[in-house]
Amino acid sequence: MSKVIEFVKGPWYIAVYTWREGLRRKTLVGFLILSLLVIFGATFMTSFLNQATVGDVTTDMDLKLIKDICVTTISIFGVLITIFISASVVPVEVENRIIYTVLSKPVRRFQYLLGKFLGAQLIIIMNLCLMGGLFFVALYIKQRILPTLLLWSVFLTYFEFLIVSALTFAVACASSSSVLPTIAGLFIYITGSLTEYLKDVYNRSGQTGEFLDSLIGYLAYILWNILPNLQRFSLKTQIVNSQPNDPPTDVLIPQLVLYALIYAVSGYIIAYWIFRKREV
Amino acid sequence: MSVSQEPIIKTTKLTKIYETGFRGEEVKALIDLDLEIYSGEIFGYLGPNGSGKTTTIKLLLGLIFPTYGEIFVLGTSDINSPAVKKNIGYLPEGAFYPDFLRGEEILHFYGQLYGLTGRELRKRVDYVLDLVGMTHARRRMLKGYSKGMRQRIGLAQALISDPKILILDEPTTGLDPIARKEIRDILARLRDEGKTLFISSHELLEVEMISNRVGILFDGVLRVSGTLDELLEIKDRIVEFANATEDKIKIIIDKGGEIFDQIDSKVFLRAKSDDDIYNVIELGRSVGLSLVKITPRRESLEELFVRVITSAEAERRTKNE
Repeated sequence: MSKVIEFVKGPWYIAVYTWREGLRRKTLVGFLILSLLVIFGATFMTSFLNQATVGDVTTDMDLKLIKDICVTTISIFGVLITIFISASVVPVEVENRIIYTVLSKPVRRFQYLLGKFLGAQLIIIMNLCLMGGLFFVALYIKQRILPTLLLWSVFLTYFEFLIVSALTFAVACASSSSVLPTIAGLFIYITGSLTEYLKDVYNRSGQTGEFLDSLIGYLAYILWNILPNLQRFSLKTQIVNSQPNDPPTDVLIPQLVLYALIYAVSGYIIAYWIFRKREV
Repeated sequence: MSVSQEPIIKTTKLTKIYETGFRGEEVKALIDLDLEIYSGEIFGYLGPNGSGKTTTIKLLLGLIFPTYGEIFVLGTSDINSPAVKKNIGYLPEGAFYPDFLRGEEILHFYGQLYGLTGRELRKRVDYVLDLVGMTHARRRMLKGYSKGMRQRIGLAQALISDPKILILDEPTTGLDPIARKEIRDILARLRDEGKTLFISSHELLEVEMISNRVGILFDGVLRVSGTLDELLEIKDRIVEFANATEDKIKIIIDKGGEIFDQIDSKVFLRAKSDDDIYNVIELGRSVGLSLVKITPRRESLEELFVRVITSAEAERRTKNE
């Protein structure tokens, strides 16, 4: 047991230090402030405008719009923060050569990477909690019903981000700057959100009999199999259209968590496999 | 201070070849390095820029991997094991640390990585801050530190775990003379405490003042290695005379004598060889000087360095032709 604690201590210290470093990054804080402003503006400011124009009656349409804006904001700014932090935690240390002093300490590369990855997760979770928390309070004030569905949505959104984070992190471990992994992270997120279309492309391919058509279909099929299906984690439609305290429907939460963890562990293993022999 | 006969760091045929460019052109950064560093000694690792010093240090720390050859630290080849690294403190050249932390936070972070916690960690942080003279700036953010302060905090982080081995890459580069003297004093103190110091440096005078042994690297090859007594040749002999006056010195110069130094009524003449000593004594006596003593003068480390590097460069030129 004490050996396990000893093993975990190093990564934990590195995670906390990575988290503290993240809190001082201007880009990251900028994204967070902007997202909080959008959520705040969409909820409280529209409420003020409504009262000024049509009294204190908030129509269903208004509420749906507000929910739509806030869920989209959490999703977009959340993923930008996720990609930015996952793409940079390792390359920035290699670039600044801070990694020399850390890896020369009694820390295995596996532990170092685990610490950096956990630190990135702490930042992602903190951002999600702040954005989700503000939206949660705003919804509660508007509807006077505890928006438990939003909590489920934030929970699942984290696991969606975990997948994007792990795969971006794996690319970052092969890179000496954060530009390439950021692009890769955006690619993973965009294609991961469109995997249903990839399946559709595959199903429709081969109809013309042309080589290019078949090739595109084949590539779409490979990507559909490899890339995670991030749409599965979205409760957006339900949040927008249902009561705030409805239970989540059409999703199997334990399976989704397991699905995300498999991708996360795979991403981390790839990251370690790349990094274990990397010269710094 | 006692120097052990068991090498605490040992490399055999250590070679590092980098492949660069699209064609994979080979750059030999280090070739067949055989090095032995003993417990309790200060080893000065010298060489011009690009000679392979930092490559050697990175290999010793497991930051890069050898193309071939072996490294043993504390008797094991598993140099990345935490058990080995617990005994190593490292000060990189240029001192790169997270700017967003305060001086004492850096030391806490690195101390934690060494497994230090609680009161033990706090005591150690206080001790090293005091040792490097940074107690007054412990709560300041690193980005507000001067170059000298960063170097001191770098030395403090290298010492945080009280390691047996200290690997220091250019520890005094860019520091003002007072800061250099202070760092040098700290290193001498560590030597007296029995630490093993591996110092890569350009500051030859400093290395000469504190090292037991030195190695000179050029083009990735260790050209010479040994104690200063073994390596520094007797360059010439200095014959000291008393009763010197300006007139007598002028006559000596006119007769071809070589004045090495002059202090008050003492004059020091240079003899180029043992045979030349008699001629110099005769010359001094001929003008009425009194012989005081004859001292052999060893070449300085700087002179040795220039001699070794000049010969290596000539060898390289011959090879290229």
